[in-house]
Amino acid sequence: MKFRKYFGLRLVTWALTILIGVTFIFFIPRMFPTDPVENMIGQIQSRSGQMDPQEMAALRKSLRVQFGLEGSLWEQYLAYLWRGLLHFDFGPSLVSFPTPAGEIIATYLPYTLFLSLISTLLAWIIGNAIGLLAGFRKNKRSSKILEGIAICIYPVPYFLVALILQIVFAYLLGWFPLQSNINAMGGTAAYLRSLFRASFLPALSQLLVGTGWWIISMKSLSAATAEEDFVQYARFRGLAERRIGASYVMRNSILTQITALAMSLGGAFNGAIMTEIIFSYPGVGALIQKAILQSDYNMILGCITISIVAISTATLIADLIYPFIDPRIRYS
Amino acid sequence: MLKIENLSASYQTIDGPVHVVKHLNFDIRDNEIFGIAGESGCGKTTLLRVLYDIIQYPLSIDEGRVVLSGVKKGVPYELTTGEIRKAWWNNISYVPQAAQSVLNPIMRLKDQFLDSIPKQDRGDESKEQTLDRVRSYLKELGLSPDVLNAYPFQLSGGMRQRAIIALATFMSPGLILADEPTTALDVVVQRGILMMLTRLQKQYKNTLVIVSHDMGVHYQICDRVGIMYSGSLVELGPTADLFREPLHPYSRMLIGALPVVGDKSAKEGIPGRPPSLKDPPPGCRFAPRCPRASERCRREVPEFRQVRPGRFAACHLLEEEAQSHA
Repeated sequence: MKFRKYFGLRLVTWALTILIGVTFIFFIPRMFPTDPVENMIGQIQSRSGQMDPQEMAALRKSLRVQFGLEGSLWEQYLAYLWRGLLHFDFGPSLVSFPTPAGEIIATYLPYTLFLSLISTLLAWIIGNAIGLLAGFRKNKRSSKILEGIAICIYPVPYFLVALILQIVFAYLLGWFPLQSNINAMGGTAAYLRSLFRASFLPALSQLLVGTGWWIISMKSLSAATAEEDFVQYARFRGLAERRIGASYVMRNSILTQITALAMSLGGAFNGAIMTEIIFSYPGVGALIQKAILQSDYNMILGCITISIVAISTATLIADLIYPFIDPRIRYS
Repeated sequence: MLKIENLSASYQTIDGPVHVVKHLNFDIRDNEIFGIAGESGCGKTTLLRVLYDIIQYPLSIDEGRVVLSGVKKGVPYELTTGEIRKAWWNNISYVPQAAQSVLNPIMRLKDQFLDSIPKQDRGDESKEQTLDRVRSYLKELGLSPDVLNAYPFQLSGGMRQRAIIALATFMSPGLILADEPTTALDVVVQRGILMMLTRLQKQYKNTLVIVSHDMGVHYQICDRVGIMYSGSLVELGPTADLFREPLHPYSRMLIGALPVVGDKSAKEGIPGRPPSLKDPPPGCRFAPRCPRASERCRREVPEFRQVRPGRFAACHLLEEEAQSHA
């Protein structure tokens, strides 16, 4: 019973968070001094000369309908909530008119998900394993070396790591393409090969930087846990070090990291922007950048709506699974 | 039996070593409840850690050793400092101060029990068979087997301490060291825990060492008591005799300060404070607070020796007394 109440309340806050988020991104572009319909008409006029005023009025009207800009701001808002939020229909892309923005996003999204999921999960697993060893056996030389490496890599700005990888492996050694080209034509094998070649360096760069953070955070968590009375007492109880490391230190310090993982999976879009720009990887990150540069409002709206939904859903999931991994937490 | 042979231990600090335990020489016999009493900071817990062989930086042993011997399942064993840790839980176990923090907070008690039972003891028993043994042991101790399904935070302080005692005694070790086992609990629960410990000891005939600053605890359950002051034993003897007629001036003042039902006289504390272990007085460490201290007491360290049959003390005055009798 308690769980239902908690779940209901949590669901309401989840919906509210998304609503507030999308409200902001709906109204902010509409406060811009530029008007996409006038921009479009200007573009058409500069290409095909002066238009008949009547024709122009008709064009303006049909563009307003197409762009979802007809009616009062309130009507537009309701229409956007209905179409955009519930059906992920954000209207046509203004740049690639009339292809729907949602359709374009749908072709790019899997690539971003593929890249971000793999690199985030791998970084989490590798980083936590190393961090646990470094924290639990902090007096061992190998632990100190591993932690030293993590401390050296972590503060290096991400774009530097990405650029160095690209210069060394793509430009100097030529093992990977400079521009990610995913070959969708030449059959499954060719497609997978090109996908691997295109995503290896982006994934590696995210992995390197991500792992550093997980190592450092897990190291301090597990070092603190290793000092706890119950770990000391487990030793006095004659337990093997391996067992203490796994069941006493890791299980207690991984709790925080699971929440952090959910958060970083939700935020994977943000990390994707830089990676995809540097490696010209065909994902949503690169799409957002292009949309902003070209004032493609519907596209911006679409990408950011999806990102907001992803982050708040990830937090929701983290909150809901936490009681299953930590018995001390109960829904209330 | 546990033999403590000329044992000295110290903590390494930035100002040099601090001698916390100094020249201890005594035996803890089989099948007895032995109490170690003394005020905070006199080295009780450090002594217990050395007895249990928890010697890690900054604690180190300067000289002497501890010898643990006994017979388990017909096999005799003798282990000295450095080897005792191999016998942890099997031949010697440790009950810490009643605290929430000594059990893994996110593991059910049954899993923590299973963790503490060595593989060779379980043989090819299934998990449930081992747990059945644990359940019947808990019943024997008057504990509900339901605690096995609980997480530590779901138990009250008293229940948790009982569960820890059950955990520490399940392997029926010959020697159980208990460090302030009742300190954080209220008197009613305290009594229950003490009864549980004594009943256990009577039934399994093992040795129980209890460290406590509470003289009442020692009076209630210990067969023999050792009184520590500033890192050394000042007196050791059978509980009844020691409480009836304490020999060392420190034990006399300590016992004199205990309230007695019906006695309406005002109780006095012991004036002054225990000396700093970093910079102890040269002679008897109690001399600065002793009302009967002589010049010799301030100069010369008294020897811990048998003054009467079964009674040991470290005091120059007792020596002089003995001489004047002779």
